[in-house]
Amino acid sequence: MAIAVAGSGVTAAVAHPPMSYWRAVGWRLRRDPTTLAAGGLLALIVLAAVLAPILAPHDPNAGSIRLRLAALGTPDHWLGTDEQGRDMLSRLLHGGRMTLLAGLTPVLVAFVVGTVLGVAAGFIGGLPNHLIMRTMDIFYAFPAVLLAIAISGSLGPGLWNTLISLSVVFIPRVVRVAESVTVQVKSLEFISAARASGAGIGQIMRHHLLANVLGPILVFASTQVSLSIILAAGLSFLGLGVTPPAAEWGLMLNTLRGSIYVNAWVPALPGVAIFLTSMTFNLLSDGLRDAMEIRS
Amino acid sequence: MWAYAIRRLLLAVPTLIGASLIIFAMVHLAPGDPIAAVMPADATQAEIEATKKAYGFDKPLPVQYLYWLGRVAHGDLGRSIATRRPVIEDVRDSLRHSLALAVSSSLVAFGLGIGLGLLAAFRQGRVLDKLASAIAVVGVSVPHYWAGIILIIIFSVQLNWLPAMGAGSEGGLAEYLRHLTLPTVALSLIPLGVITRVVRSAALDILAQEFVLALGAKGLWQRTVFFHVVKNAAPQILTVLGLQFGFQLGGSVLVEAVFSWPGTGYLLNLAIFQRDIPVLQGVILVLAAFFVLLNLTVDILQSLVDPRITRH
Amino acid sequence: MRRLIAVTAVAVLALVFATSAFAQGHLRIGMTASDIPYTGGQTDNGFEGFRFVGYQIYEPLINWDLTRGDRLPPLVPGLAESWEVRKDNPSRWVFKLRKNVKFHDGSPFNADAVIFSFESIKKRDAPHFDSYGSAQVTFRLTAIKGISKLDDYTVEIDTGAPTSFVPYQIVYMVIVSPAQWNKVKDWRKFAEQPSGTGPFKVTRFVPRERLELEPNRQYWNGKRMPKVDKLTLFPMPEPTTRLAALRSGQVDWIEVPPPDSIPQLKGAGFQVVTNSYPHNWTHTLRLDKEPWNNKLVRKAANYAIDRVGICKSLLNDMCIPATGVAYKGHPWFGKPKEVYEYNPNKARELLKQAGYGPSKPVPKAVHLISTSGSGQMLPLAMNELIQKNLKEVGLEVDLQPVEWNTLLTRWRAGFQTPDNQGLNAWNISWNFLEPWSGFGRFFHSKSVVPVSVNTMPYLNPEVDKLLDEAEKTFDIAKQDAILARIHEIIVDDAPWIFVAHDLNPRGLSAKVRGFVQPQSWFVDLTAATVR
Repeated sequence: MAIAVAGSGVTAAVAHPPMSYWRAVGWRLRRDPTTLAAGGLLALIVLAAVLAPILAPHDPNAGSIRLRLAALGTPDHWLGTDEQGRDMLSRLLHGGRMTLLAGLTPVLVAFVVGTVLGVAAGFIGGLPNHLIMRTMDIFYAFPAVLLAIAISGSLGPGLWNTLISLSVVFIPRVVRVAESVTVQVKSLEFISAARASGAGIGQIMRHHLLANVLGPILVFASTQVSLSIILAAGLSFLGLGVTPPAAEWGLMLNTLRGSIYVNAWVPALPGVAIFLTSMTFNLLSDGLRDAMEIRS
Repeated sequence: MWAYAIRRLLLAVPTLIGASLIIFAMVHLAPGDPIAAVMPADATQAEIEATKKAYGFDKPLPVQYLYWLGRVAHGDLGRSIATRRPVIEDVRDSLRHSLALAVSSSLVAFGLGIGLGLLAAFRQGRVLDKLASAIAVVGVSVPHYWAGIILIIIFSVQLNWLPAMGAGSEGGLAEYLRHLTLPTVALSLIPLGVITRVVRSAALDILAQEFVLALGAKGLWQRTVFFHVVKNAAPQILTVLGLQFGFQLGGSVLVEAVFSWPGTGYLLNLAIFQRDIPVLQGVILVLAAFFVLLNLTVDILQSLVDPRITRH
Repeated sequence: MRRLIAVTAVAVLALVFATSAFAQGHLRIGMTASDIPYTGGQTDNGFEGFRFVGYQIYEPLINWDLTRGDRLPPLVPGLAESWEVRKDNPSRWVFKLRKNVKFHDGSPFNADAVIFSFESIKKRDAPHFDSYGSAQVTFRLTAIKGISKLDDYTVEIDTGAPTSFVPYQIVYMVIVSPAQWNKVKDWRKFAEQPSGTGPFKVTRFVPRERLELEPNRQYWNGKRMPKVDKLTLFPMPEPTTRLAALRSGQVDWIEVPPPDSIPQLKGAGFQVVTNSYPHNWTHTLRLDKEPWNNKLVRKAANYAIDRVGICKSLLNDMCIPATGVAYKGHPWFGKPKEVYEYNPNKARELLKQAGYGPSKPVPKAVHLISTSGSGQMLPLAMNELIQKNLKEVGLEVDLQPVEWNTLLTRWRAGFQTPDNQGLNAWNISWNFLEPWSGFGRFFHSKSVVPVSVNTMPYLNPEVDKLLDEAEKTFDIAKQDAILARIHEIIVDDAPWIFVAHDLNPRGLSAKVRGFVQPQSWFVDLTAATVR
């Protein structure tokens, strides 16, 4: 649906020569303070997750129950300890890896698979288009959360099953956007002009379609990351995602839930982490979209 | 327009059938023997076979699927393995509660969302815009189940103003509404954020069109421009409203889990852990059907509002 | 005019006081079950089902006396006034039934009702066979081979071979109304309009949400007429939800409050009542497969657990460490040779003795656990800790959580079903109310699935002999001594990982009065009032 695409803030950019376009996008990205700040924060979060084994002061799985639910600011445990006595800071750092992995991978998979399917459907048209799009329609019949939970519920808990179920959720969305944008761009005049001038399919694809199609798809995909993170954590929250004793923000939120009466702040920390990560992705995707569109 | 409507309606049928196939496949992917729940431990093989036959589990999967589909067409969603009640009753009861939650949450999200979005667009660049946009980004980024927990801590435990769980169906309407309050707030956050952003973006698009600027220059501000913007942004806004309503109806599982709100999400959650296949199939199918009908309605309404829009 | 106003005012005030007087007698309970226990008679959800549904709506022939908290509850007459084993044939027991008892639907209780109830559990081909109810309770009634009617108020139980366990098993079979069943001819419909002889009767049944009950004004036992006007049961499997509901006043009574919250509850004026009771929380191990088929490995596991840490730090002293089936001080404890305590070094030693080490690691085990449930305490938190304790000595365990009723269902089917093939243990809390539940159903070779629930299976001819002897011993003191010997063997064999004995914490609002917490899994709700 063309409108759905527009409603998500993505419109096919008016045709531009590829090279300077991307440079302009990059320039605009650097100029926006919010985007810069978000980018910086995200870089910090990713770095912290990647370097977790080095940065974490304690083993995330080692805890002494006699030290459980220590408050914020406890010496040696600045962010407190969880209900099993494990250091919160270490678990948050390691948990970031799980959450980011479970959040980013499905979107990445969806981006690759969805782009291929959607662009193919849009470009070829005809029966293949119908087949692909109607199949995607069927998956689109389910609200994202429902589909994720249904698939996870069937496959069972575990990181792999979470990745599979979330990928299945996001692929149809990307396909839809990709197909829609491809069709829009395909019909633009300069494409027919290029064809008339005798340029081959490959050339057309590379120079025009990809540059003008990948952009919006990328923007759309970036808007889905925060949802993916929230869903991945949500699945763990319900007991359908990562299993104990793994550190993952959603799972931590679940197991700490019972302790909100003892110490409300420590259980809130994983939620804050999910929130911040999700927000940086949203701000970044906003910035990307703004930079890719022309606004006077 | 009619042609479009009929085409969309016809398309909905194979979509639903496809969805039912997926549901059936998904649910039967799940490992586990549903018969064990209803059989005494010393049941003989003959008895087990007889029960399997009664539930239809002895037939090959495609046949089971067709039987299920046939019964569904007659409104029979089978019997819950856990409660032995007809699934349709469980689904109907829980759907009422989910609808109540979705409607109230939508009222909040739509009302505030459209208001904030328009406010931000008309005051673009200024403080109010920044504020509204900030609220929107926060709304979209917050994990609603976490928000629910925080709300419980503050309003239920610390202040004891509002109840923390259940639907309060023993009291009258007032009790029900009290119980509805916190789940509504939690569920409305993400849609609020999304709608605000979409409305803002759509409104800005229209405001940026040249002739609107011309209108503004002529001094015909406020009223005329406002209505023009609203009318032209309507299709986009409508779509996102429809999508978000669907999200709140089908995606309320997490919020319902936190508040023990007895809706379809709560039922689904329970059925997953109880491996209650008929309930799982029934709930997901009904929700998917709702969603498909919702999308259909939104599409048709859109084409009414703006005849230029038809699905290619 | 003025008089009219005055009269109206008085009437309104009277109404207000009257209704508020009624409104005070409403007891609302938050259970750990995730759904309302089956109301069709032989209930589900384990003992929580008996506690709030089975024994409130229905009654067995023999009851527990739950009115005192200072001693283990004895058995007292219920729907049977007296019972005795026949002198001429010790395989037969004669029960004299109580007269002038009516079911909730008004029909009379008599021998036919007893036969009907028994057939609903055991007679497969009877039209009134309740396959679901039967599955819940049949494994508890192994001694009862048949019941026959001698006259309208006398029945005879045939046990095949002499056994002293009959009263202990009869207590699990509740009596349902044949007249009511014959009206609806379907157990599901019966469950929606249940009819028993118990002190409470059902007024409203909203599946998955609530069960509303009121006192049975025709109840035969005047001493146990309920004092409250209304009783409502809510399924609340989430500990945090239960706590929030209690604190915000939505319910007056919750089962198993989160232990962390107990100091706060007490500080806020709530009552937290505890009592010891015949409960143990264990991992029941599968003995026919690695790794738990090796006694040394099982003992190692028992030395690896930090029970004191669990009870003190995790559960706020709401349990005591368990080193056997029964607790020290119980007549069946005896003097076991092994005294399990937290000793990881000894655990590692034992594993080495068993031939395991870095080059030959112990194969991974998969344990089925629940997310909540009657007697399960805080399963997820406790199991995470146990998993960690075991890992520290080299024992790797994978935890698979399922819903409580699902766990019970899978357990009853045993380890050999395709569903359960990959499992090595269940984490289920057990009771040892009487010799059969404590030992017979688990440790006798004749209790192997599907007859009863010796799922491990534990096969020890010496224990078989002792159990048979205990069953034939009608003298309680002698019976206790035999059971203590059995206990010593069991502890040394370690077929379970013994962890803790629960202290049954409940959270009550300050308004609840008159309730006495017995040393039991069950409760008597009839003396409670809510001011």
